[in-house]
Amino acid sequence: MQEAITTSPVSSPTTEEVDSGDPAIRIRDLDFLYGSNQVIHNVSLDIFPKEVMAFIGPSGCGKSTLLRCLNRMNDLVDGARIGKGSIEIHGVDLHDKSVDVIELRKRVGMVFQKSNPFPKSIYQNVAYGLQIQGVKSKRVIDQKVEESLRKAALWEEVKDRLNENAYGLSGGQQQRLCIARTLAVEPEIILMDEPCSALDPVATGRVEELILELKHEYTIVVVTHNMQQAGRISDRTAFFYLGKLIECDLTKKIFLNPSKQQTEDYISGKFG
Amino acid sequence: MSPEKEPRHPFESRLTTERAQESLMFGLLRGMTFFVLFCAAFLFWDIISKGSSKVFEGDGLINWEFLTEHPQTLHVIGEGEDEIKLSSSNYYKLKDEKMLNKWGEFRQSDGHDSARRELDARFSRLQNEWSKDSLLVADEKFLLRERENATNKFAFWKEMLTDPKTTAEDFEIKVEEVPGMVTQFMLGHFEKERSRLSLVEEKVTLFRATNYPKIENLSLAHAEEVEMAYLAFLAEIPEAYNQSMSSFGEEAKSSYDEFLQAEGPKEFGRFAEALVAYSAARNVLLGPDHEIENWEALQASLAPFKQAMAVSLPSKDYAYSGGGIFPAIIGTLLLVIGAMAIAIVLGVFCAIFLAEYGKAGKFLSMVRLAILNLAGVPSIIFGLFGFGLFVIFLDWNVSLLAGWFTLAFMVLPIVITASEEALRSIPQGFRESSLALGATKWTMIKTSVLPFAMPGILTSSILGVARAAGETAPIMFTAAYAKRSDLPWEGLEHWTDFFFQGVMALPYHIYVVSAKIPQNAYTADMQYGTAFVFLLLVVGVASLSIILRNRLRKKYRW
Repeated sequence: MQEAITTSPVSSPTTEEVDSGDPAIRIRDLDFLYGSNQVIHNVSLDIFPKEVMAFIGPSGCGKSTLLRCLNRMNDLVDGARIGKGSIEIHGVDLHDKSVDVIELRKRVGMVFQKSNPFPKSIYQNVAYGLQIQGVKSKRVIDQKVEESLRKAALWEEVKDRLNENAYGLSGGQQQRLCIARTLAVEPEIILMDEPCSALDPVATGRVEELILELKHEYTIVVVTHNMQQAGRISDRTAFFYLGKLIECDLTKKIFLNPSKQQTEDYISGKFG
Repeated sequence: MSPEKEPRHPFESRLTTERAQESLMFGLLRGMTFFVLFCAAFLFWDIISKGSSKVFEGDGLINWEFLTEHPQTLHVIGEGEDEIKLSSSNYYKLKDEKMLNKWGEFRQSDGHDSARRELDARFSRLQNEWSKDSLLVADEKFLLRERENATNKFAFWKEMLTDPKTTAEDFEIKVEEVPGMVTQFMLGHFEKERSRLSLVEEKVTLFRATNYPKIENLSLAHAEEVEMAYLAFLAEIPEAYNQSMSSFGEEAKSSYDEFLQAEGPKEFGRFAEALVAYSAARNVLLGPDHEIENWEALQASLAPFKQAMAVSLPSKDYAYSGGGIFPAIIGTLLLVIGAMAIAIVLGVFCAIFLAEYGKAGKFLSMVRLAILNLAGVPSIIFGLFGFGLFVIFLDWNVSLLAGWFTLAFMVLPIVITASEEALRSIPQGFRESSLALGATKWTMIKTSVLPFAMPGILTSSILGVARAAGETAPIMFTAAYAKRSDLPWEGLEHWTDFFFQGVMALPYHIYVVSAKIPQNAYTADMQYGTAFVFLLLVVGVASLSIILRNRLRKKYRW
């Protein structure tokens, strides 16, 4: 376990760095229910700008649900609702009636567990977000596509076959294409729901490098099953268990010296 | 297998109940499958072998007449080996040709000149007989008769009105019904006059307009007024009669001249028509009993000409067995295309609502149940529904539009169910990633669900095409004509009329030729030919949809 952290290319930020400034996302006393089944219990959490926050925990602990609350993807689920508490971005409660969910999702992008490019060309996949926003200019779109693909470290690999079907790419490339697609709409925050769980180790490494690259510009929240991955890429880690936030702290501290017994048991592999 | 016999080795096969059952079941399953296969093969073989002989008969490779002509009566000339089958148009063409030849021969012969001289003489005498002077005499006689007749009748009616009580007793009616009865008598009289005096139609109409209100509202004073008016009316007639008689005479004369000059046989018809009108007019004036020797003699003089043109081409006629099925092919294509367009638009919109917007619950399951039930409704019920709603209530009559909607409603359940299925089979990831990129729900459906579901939707529509094309019951009340001589684009006064015309259709045509007319070998030919073309057409339309679907599938693969 220690090895995982020492080999991590990240130098974990000091407490002062992280705590400075307003949080990008502020979650307060959040309860969340599917129908009558409460899946998140009284969670309060701050996520700061330009940090990588990892959510870990065993299956069914509510980490994915919490992530999907952050851009209101849970609206799609019948019966999903907030019990109490709030999620604020820039001081605005996301569940306020005045919030346009479309605008929110442009600001808060999402990358899914299963890479799911559209069965169209690579170019069209990246341009999609711009086109649905009504951007017509070919020049602007071309430029943005290239920029996004470069940021996603995919440009060199695909620049000669932009018009080929995205399903011709490998799994890792597809996932990076999905990241590029998300970047094209210029979000501030990127949510990643187990982005590497379907990838082989090499592809995983590429995506992780990319995440570290992106954190200079974006706030990133990653849900992961892979604790080593959380150790390698995140600045801070939040551990969830049975819908409750057990502990949230600097990644280094969580892994080396967790303050709760449950966290230590999970980290050391006693359960989960 | 006797129990005492030892098996040679542990795996030796032996007959047990399970084994017997196994082979029995295998035989049964195979037998049934082969039976179905045999039935299907027989059906197709029957239609293809008999039908193709109709489509591929004739001089060329393909019987174009069958594919491009209207249905016609079949005329069969001769018997056995020498029989010639001709559709009506060809039959009459042949007949005309023969008549023309015979007429030409007659014109060259000596008989023609003598016959013509005789006819000329007869016609001149006839014209003299009907000269202006003789007509005036006839007019006066006619008028006198007419006046006497009218005066007597009016006297009788006035008598009834003067003493209604006696009249009522005589006729065993109530007193107040007497004027009504007299009115009926008078109206009946003038109705009769109207048809008898058709030569002076205009004046009769004028008389009716001015005097009928008085007859309707009858009193003794009114009856007297009408009598005066009628006598005055009769006094005006002779001049009018003379005018119309002279115009009839001129028409007959010019027809006669044309007739003698013309090369073709058809002019005879016009001449005969003019003579008939002429003689009918004459009968009014001179009376049916007035025989004129000249008239019969004229008929006799015409006889050689008639004979010269009479051609007999004896044939046995079979309705609907000749010609082709072109209008039915066009009609079926139009019906299928329109119905599918409506069904796909309605069905896809409905399916989008059900699959993407509808929230699971009672309402949605009720809608689904309704759609499933709709699929089980017999097609004749759809026919009656369409007849009641579109044809009668919306007053679209028997029309393409009514047929389109009826057929569309019939295939709608198929299209909705299958489209919903296709929409649901699109990975949820496409929807989520589209939404996560800031798409509204409709944008998401439009850009990242519908295009990928299109192949599936088209697959379902293929099933619909076959059904829409094949059903007879829904269109027999709503859109199909047994016979229509105009093609859908012919004789339209306004472009909207296109939608409000009935059409012929292949399934209905098969029904008509196999159930509505006397059956014989020639109609059977027609039935099989139509069925064969019909099969080809359905296969063709379905193949088109399959090609389209495969193209889309190739484009969107995941």
